Amino acid sequence: MDYECPNNLKYASTHEWIKIEDSVATVGITDYAQYQLGDIVFVELPEIGMVFDRGSNAAEIESVKAVGDLIMPLSGEIIGINENLADNPENVNSSPFENGWMIKIKFSHPSEIDELLSAEKYKEIIQNEKH
Amino acid sequence: MNTKLTDNRKTPLYETHLNRGARMVSFAGWMMPVQYESIIKEHEAVRSNAGVFDISHMGEFILEGKDVIDFLQYVMINDLNLLEPSKGQYSCMCYENGTVIDDLVYYEENLERFRMIVNAGNIEKDFQWLKDHIGKKDVKITNLSEKRTRVAFQGPNADELLQPLVDVDLSKINRFYFVHCTIKNNPVFLARTGYTGERGFEISFENVFAEKIWNDLIETGAMPVGLGARDSLRLEACYSLYGHEISDSITPVEAGLFWLVKPKEGIDYIGKEVLLKQKSEGTERILVGLNLIDKGIIREKYKIFKDGNDIGFVTSGGYSPTLKKTIGLGLVKNQYKKVGTEIKIEIRNKLLRGEITTTPFYRNV
Repeated sequence: MDYECPNNLKYASTHEWIKIEDSVATVGITDYAQYQLGDIVFVELPEIGMVFDRGSNAAEIESVKAVGDLIMPLSGEIIGINENLADNPENVNSSPFENGWMIKIKFSHPSEIDELLSAEKYKEIIQNEKH
Repeated sequence: MNTKLTDNRKTPLYETHLNRGARMVSFAGWMMPVQYESIIKEHEAVRSNAGVFDISHMGEFILEGKDVIDFLQYVMINDLNLLEPSKGQYSCMCYENGTVIDDLVYYEENLERFRMIVNAGNIEKDFQWLKDHIGKKDVKITNLSEKRTRVAFQGPNADELLQPLVDVDLSKINRFYFVHCTIKNNPVFLARTGYTGERGFEISFENVFAEKIWNDLIETGAMPVGLGARDSLRLEACYSLYGHEISDSITPVEAGLFWLVKPKEGIDYIGKEVLLKQKSEGTERILVGLNLIDKGIIREKYKIFKDGNDIGFVTSGGYSPTLKKTIGLGLVKNQYKKVGTEIKIEIRNKLLRGEITTTPFYRNV
């Protein structure tokens, strides 16, 4: 199965993608993640202003059959959320890297970016995943 | 999920599903398609046009003998006096304490021959229970589950799409009636029954015709539909799922199926005393419809609260593509069953506002 993995993005092993622009990171879940979850029916996003450490749960993603977590790939403050997902959660399935974006973080620890994965490294991970 | 693929049984249509790109899961010991493309798209196809389901994992028995009606009257809570040849009947088979062994449908082929369709997870249990209760009656039971393929063909256009393929007038078959006919010259058992809340049929035939008939049905324009949509469809229609709304700890009366409990005067049946008492006096807990007011998804096993007290739990829940919101069914203490009663549902440590609501959520039969 060929999953989309745009090269201009960074990735986390927990299946988030990260787009870094200056001091802001836009985050969503990958094509692989949306495929595993199935039809997304509800996304519970955090509130603007909330602050999370890297590794904590920022959002809950409910599909018909399962619940997944959006794990913060970088520590920081939530400065934007995709309000369209309230009415169109299916955007996560149809456009995981664009219309399905979930949060924008003003990250506090730039060094954490070094620990993110390249598209190639992420592709390796999903190819080896047993399911 | 650690599933040993080799331990799971495969229906005759397994390869067909794989070739179609279905995502397979283990269900009741069978590898079944949970979805082909999208659970929601498949659900919507059934509501707007038609869908084809592989239900070969379910069980199929033939019961024959001079005493078969007497026998079924004893082990079933519904009344076979309401049956006639060419008609089927939905019933629960219960323990002495009224809880459910299985819910099932039996079809009267003639006074001495019945076909029975049971749930996949209960095939061995049901077969054993039936055999154990024959006693001295003249009844023989044959398990045809693995010898036959079963499919469901459901949707508002089911009749129109299927008619050109069959050699009978489908409009003459009323709900719950069945015929033996052919689909493009291959013999089938065809019943106007279903589990989706739409018009349609459940069809059984010899394994040798499996792929041919499946393909014939798909060629009508019906969409292949997996177990994921099968569940969301039956939930909208508020049909019970064994292990959820009914089980070996829930009685049909508690599950709102009090109409299945028949007086059957002069006829003894297993569970009669308990169930008739429950029917006349009520039960401590009762199945209700659930609506969520706050945003989220209702799922099975979530607890239900009222004024800080635990008053019940969700038996089934999910997303309704037709209503475009979450829906659920739950067992609550009888005094809270009134539609409109405000409740709280516990979703991952948060108490979300909800209310008791009317059922069914959708029916088009």
